[in-house]
Amino acid sequence: MQQVVSGDQAAFSELYLRYKGRMYYYFYRMLGNSADTANDFLQELFMKLIEKPESYNPAYSFSTWLYSVANNMCKNEYRKRGIRQEYQEAEALEPQIDYLSDTTIEHGQVVEKIFATLDSLGEEHRSAFLLRYREGFSIKEVAEILELPEGTVKSRLFYAKKQLAEKLEYLKDQIEF
Amino acid sequence: MDKNSDQLLSNALRNNRIGEPDKAVEERLMYAFLLKNSKDRVRQNSFSSFAGWLFSGQSFALKTVMVSMVFFFSIFNSQFTFDSGKISAGDSISSQRVLVADSAHYIQLVDSIKKDTLY
Repeated sequence: MQQVVSGDQAAFSELYLRYKGRMYYYFYRMLGNSADTANDFLQELFMKLIEKPESYNPAYSFSTWLYSVANNMCKNEYRKRGIRQEYQEAEALEPQIDYLSDTTIEHGQVVEKIFATLDSLGEEHRSAFLLRYREGFSIKEVAEILELPEGTVKSRLFYAKKQLAEKLEYLKDQIEF
Repeated sequence: MDKNSDQLLSNALRNNRIGEPDKAVEERLMYAFLLKNSKDRVRQNSFSSFAGWLFSGQSFALKTVMVSMVFFFSIFNSQFTFDSGKISAGDSISSQRVLVADSAHYIQLVDSIKKDTLY
């Protein structure tokens, strides 16, 4: 990061290559599964890094800091869109699907159904869930990124898993609490 | 939380693929980075860094000495002294010639008056 601040293009390129896939996935899942939106946000995130590299605090790990910035961008976007309301409305209109009663369901479909369930829960559950299970951050790190107490993170994860188990019959036997 | 369920969810999510970000994003970012750095370099070579130093609190003693020297020279430089015997600007209509008392010149004038009386 110090090299990026001093204008080393190779260092910036390396940083981008290392994080582009992860950040793209995060934005994709957090912002309505849209590739265009994920690309726009990925670009905006790294533009922030280019324009204000000094905003990075070396006291924190780079990945924690980057996800924290990304999460704030998502929060702002949700505020703009009022997306939570949209999801709630969509859920109310959506007919109750018999999620995963079919045991021969494929892996890709499982994940899509997990996210369909998480979408209905709201961004705060989805972000905690993604950071913990996709990115592999510890509870403490997730709490740092989301600027929440560890207890709140734990309860959000617990609630998300509970909802998943209720909606996904397939996982009911495998998810324990 | 149960480790098995955590592992199950982690595996399901980590194996999920949604594709790669657009290559154009990378190109735009690299260009933006290049542009930002070139701007920074121009700024480094400009006068702004000197002006920044000049108006900052750094090297206060040195700046005081420099200002004192400029002040000292501006006072004692003859270019800035005022000579009451000279007119700095001439105007043919309104200016009057100031005669400076000069004993030799005065005698010359008296002689010429004397000559006039002979006519």
